[in-house]
Amino acid sequence: MNCIEIKNLTKKYKDVKAVDNLSFEVKEGEILGLLGPNGSGKSTTINCILSLLNYEKGEIKIFNTLMSPTAYEVKKQIGVVFQDVAVFDNLTVYENIDYFCGLYINSKEKRKEYIKDALDLVELNEFTNYYPKQLSGGLLRRLNIACGIAHKPKLIFLDEPTVAVDPQSRNSILEGIKKLRDLGSTIVYTTHYMEEVEILCDRIIILDNGKILATGDKDELKKLAKIEEKVTIEIMDLKKSHIKEIEHFPNVENISYENNTLQIVYKKGKNNVVELLEYLNQNKIKYNKIFSERPSLNDVFLYLTGKELRD
Amino acid sequence: MFWHNFKYTLKNLLKNKPLIFWTFAFPLILGNLFFLAFQDIEKKEQLEIFNIAIVEKEKTDHTQILKNAYMTFSEGESELFHIEYVSQEKAEDLLSDKEIIGYVILSENPKVVVSKNGIEETILKTVTESIVEEISLATTIQKEKIIDGLSKPEFDGNIEFLKIQVQKEVEEILKNTTVSLKDNSPTNLSYTMVEFYTLIAMTCLYGGMLTMTSINNNLANMCSTGKRIAVAPTKKRNVIFSSVLASFLVQLLGLALLFIYTIFVLNVDYGNKIFFIFLLSILGSLAGVALGCIIATLLKTNENTKIGILLAVTMSGSFFSGMMGITMKYQIDKNIPIINYLNPANMITDGLYSLYYYQTNTKFYFNVISLLIFSALLIILSIEELRRQKYDSI
Repeated sequence: MNCIEIKNLTKKYKDVKAVDNLSFEVKEGEILGLLGPNGSGKSTTINCILSLLNYEKGEIKIFNTLMSPTAYEVKKQIGVVFQDVAVFDNLTVYENIDYFCGLYINSKEKRKEYIKDALDLVELNEFTNYYPKQLSGGLLRRLNIACGIAHKPKLIFLDEPTVAVDPQSRNSILEGIKKLRDLGSTIVYTTHYMEEVEILCDRIIILDNGKILATGDKDELKKLAKIEEKVTIEIMDLKKSHIKEIEHFPNVENISYENNTLQIVYKKGKNNVVELLEYLNQNKIKYNKIFSERPSLNDVFLYLTGKELRD
Repeated sequence: MFWHNFKYTLKNLLKNKPLIFWTFAFPLILGNLFFLAFQDIEKKEQLEIFNIAIVEKEKTDHTQILKNAYMTFSEGESELFHIEYVSQEKAEDLLSDKEIIGYVILSENPKVVVSKNGIEETILKTVTESIVEEISLATTIQKEKIIDGLSKPEFDGNIEFLKIQVQKEVEEILKNTTVSLKDNSPTNLSYTMVEFYTLIAMTCLYGGMLTMTSINNNLANMCSTGKRIAVAPTKKRNVIFSSVLASFLVQLLGLALLFIYTIFVLNVDYGNKIFFIFLLSILGSLAGVALGCIIATLLKTNENTKIGILLAVTMSGSFFSGMMGITMKYQIDKNIPIINYLNPANMITDGLYSLYYYQTNTKFYFNVISLLIFSALLIILSIEELRRQKYDSI
C-alpha cells in the first residue's frame, strides 16, 4: 500500500523550475531516500507534499487523501523534522517536546509517556531541563528530531537531519531512525550524504535540478554506474610509461594519478588487485597504502550527471 | 489545543527579555522621565492673572451687559484678569508701556486690541468671542420669547410686563450657560497629565509587539517553528486566538504595572474617572494587540520590516492623534476626519480627553465601541488570511 502518491508535481520559483514534473510513490513501512546535491529540489518537494508551498501543477495524495493545509486528519499522522532546528529558545528541552507533541496529543498522561519514549529514542534524558542554547549542535539536532516524532506519527519526513552533526551524534540519530522504522513508521529521508542513504534506505530516488535521475535500491542503482571495482594505491613518483601500461590492463575503465595517488576504475571486479600488485612488484615500484572498494552512489551520480554529488 | 498553545505562548513571551523590557520597563522609565521633565515646566507655565483695560466708548444696555460679563472673569475662583476702565488714549499708553496685555473697546461689536500674539492675548480674544456669542444667543431667545408671548391668547396688552417676564426667563437660562472655564477633574488636565495619557496610549499600542512576536512564531514563512506548527493539525483560529489572548494578558500586566507605579510611586492623580480610564486602556491594549496581529499575518515580509511598519503605524497614529502636539489632532479632525476615525491611537486619546471636556460620556462610549469594532475586525481578518495559507516560497 502506498502512503504517498505524487503525480506530475511541478514547482517554479519565478522562471526556475525547482521541481520538474516529479512522480513517485512511498510505500508503507519503507525508508525512502531522496538523494541529491544542495538545490536539487529535495526540500521543495517535501514542502509541497506538506502543503506549505503552492505549486504550479500536480497532485499529492497522502493516505489516499488529497493533501491540503486543512487536511487535519492526514496531518495528525505526519511528523516532520526540518533541516533548520525548529525549537523555541525560551523553552526547555522537555517543554519544547511537550509543546510540539501537544499540537497532536491532547491527553497529558499520554503525552508524558510519549515524551519519555522520544527522550529515550534520541538519548536526551539527562538534558530535559536544559535550554536549547545550552546544548551542543548534535544534541540540538536530536532535540529537533524528538520534537518532530514524539507524537508517534505513521509517516515521518526527515529533511537533512544530520547536517553539521558530529559523528557520534550522527550514529545515534541514524540508529534512532532505524528504530522508528522498526516501530512501523514510514520514513522519507532527504540528504546529500550518500553513506547515510546506503545505510538507511530501502529505496532511493536520485534527484538533480528538480528531476528524478534514477530510482531503485542501492544495488540496482550501483549497476547503473557500469563499474564494479575501484582500486586506490599510494605510489611515489610513478612514471608516465607505467601509467600507460596499467591503462591497458583488462577491464580498466578509467585511470587517474594525482597527488601520488593512483586510482583505477574497473568495469568488472575479478583479480584486479592481484594483477596490479604483480605488475608493481615486477617493476620494483614501491607503494604504501592500497585499498579496493565497490562503486558508491557518488559514482552513480557522477556517471548520470558528470559531476560529483557534493558539487 | 487552545489552552496548550496559550500556556506556551505565555511562557515564551514572559521569558523573552527584550520584549519584557519594552512592555514592562520602558513605559516606567518614560513615566519617570515625564515626571522629572514636566514637573518644573508645569509650575513655570501656570497661568498668572494678567491686566487688561476696557474702553467704554458709548453707554448702552448692550455695553453694560458686556461689562458685566467681563467682570465675571475678574473676580472669584475663575479670575483671569484685572480690569482697568480707561479712555482709549490711556489704554494705548498702558499697552505700549506693557502695563496691560490688551484692551477691549465696548460697542455693539466689541473690538480687542493687543500688541502681540501670545497665550494671554489668545485667552482675551477667546473670552471676548465667547461673551459675544453668549449675548447674541440671549438676544435671539429674548426676541423669540417676546414674539411667542405676543401671539398667546392670554396676552393682556401690557408689553412692559411681558418684557420683564421674558428678561427674567432669559436671565435664568443664562445663569446655567454662563461663560466660564470649567474644571471637571480634581486637578486640572495639565500638561503632565496629557503626557501621561500619551504614555498610556503608547503603552497600549506597544502591545502590538507582543502579538507580532507570538504570531510570527506560528508562521511558516517567518521561522522554522512556524513551519512545524503549520504542518500540525492545528486550526489557525485556535492558534491566533490563543496567541492574541496570551499577548493581551502580558500587555495587561504591563499596563497594570504602569498604573500602579504612576499612582503609588509618582503620585499621578488620574482624577475621579479612573475606572473609565482603566476600561479605555484595556480596550486600547486590545486594539494594540489586534494591530500587531494583522501586520504580522497580512504582510509577507521579514520580521524587521514588520516591526518597522508596526512602529511607523503606531507613531504616525500617535502623531495624528495629537500626542506630539494637540494642534495636529484638531487639524486632522477638521480636514481629514476619516484618518482619526480609523486611528486607534486617536480612539484612545479622544476617549481620555472626552472624560475631561464633555459633561456626558457619549463621546467616551463612542470611542470604546470604535476600539471594540476595530479590534474584532482586525482579528477576524487575520484568521481569514491565515486559514488556508500556502506560500510561494519559504
